[in-house]
Amino acid sequence: MTVVIGFEGSANKIGIGIVRDGEVLSNPRRTYITPPGQGFLPSETAKHHRSVILTVLQEALDEAGLKPADVDCVAYTKGPGMGAPLVIVALVARTVAQLWEKPLVGVNHCIGHIEMGRLVTGARNPTVLYVSGGNTQISNDPSPGYNIEQMAKKGKQYVELPYTVKGMDVSFSGILSYIEEVAHKMLSSGQCSAEDLCFSLQETVFSMLVEITERAMAHCGSQEVLIVGGVGCNLRLQEMMGVMCEERGAQLFATDERFCIDNGAMIAQAGWEMFRVGQTTELADSWITQRYRTDEVDVAWRD
Amino acid sequence: MASRNSSSDAQLEFVLEVPFPSQREASIALQALSPDQEPRRRGITKTLGASACTLSAKWTADEARILRVSVGSFLDHLALVIETMDVFGQPVLQ
Repeated sequence: MTVVIGFEGSANKIGIGIVRDGEVLSNPRRTYITPPGQGFLPSETAKHHRSVILTVLQEALDEAGLKPADVDCVAYTKGPGMGAPLVIVALVARTVAQLWEKPLVGVNHCIGHIEMGRLVTGARNPTVLYVSGGNTQISNDPSPGYNIEQMAKKGKQYVELPYTVKGMDVSFSGILSYIEEVAHKMLSSGQCSAEDLCFSLQETVFSMLVEITERAMAHCGSQEVLIVGGVGCNLRLQEMMGVMCEERGAQLFATDERFCIDNGAMIAQAGWEMFRVGQTTELADSWITQRYRTDEVDVAWRD
Repeated sequence: MASRNSSSDAQLEFVLEVPFPSQREASIALQALSPDQEPRRRGITKTLGASACTLSAKWTADEARILRVSVGSFLDHLALVIETMDVFGQPVLQ
């Protein structure tokens, strides 16, 4: 039996989860929600995480019914993400790893999403679309993307918006600046409603994501798609991806908000995989990093 | 205590000595606090060390403002490490 505790706090969610051989024993989480119209900034986010982290850690142990001695390994997010919050979480992980005399494992956040997606869905070797929100400029409760999704459901009119895909790359800056310029005019002239804009935004952006996913599948000869990351909760995205998969005879895997959205158990799960093949992190090498490419990770636990 | 060198480059220095109840705790604190790089790398250096039960931190900086930010941040992080040891250190740290 191998029990791993995972610490995640690279963006506005702070989560600590415990996994035992593929079973999630606990996964408490808190979200730093900023006032409407404001995104989350590193130092404020770090303050939030600092104020709750020890409480969440105790919750993780209590809900799992475990004591520190029962934990075999301490995993934490090494990166990528925002520097200040990453440090807060790493400090606690390093401290408890030493107190409890357990090895430390630094995990890539994106690998965490992927490994939890594979665990929960059973996908064997999927093409993975990792699509995440960060922050946007409308009401933040419960999250900007969720609010756009709800409004989009009421949209009826499709408005043409810039669509930018070049091979495997997508760009959202064109659509963003276009909407910033024309939204006010279109809404005040009654040309379309805010719901129509949300609907059109989703249709456009999600089509771009489906296109590049399909291209990746064609290049790799893949018959499985796994969507991870907070935006993966969006039902319309799942629906559109599902249509593409059906047309190709491929299978779509998606998780629910417990695991789509940043959480500690996904770090624990990736840490579990790494620990079992002997990939631990020396304290001196446990520095956090804001930039950490997914393809920099040596995935020694898979063929 | 912050002081200026008498040399013409006018660098500021600040030294902090933090006593711990045991050598083990000082060492745990050092190893938790030392891996991360300073967010701002120009105009400031920070050196951490531990000897017996004391954690030491020494800064050199070009400007008081930069020094203040780094020291303030270090103290916040140190407080978190100490609180973590208080809450989760038993019975290990008896």
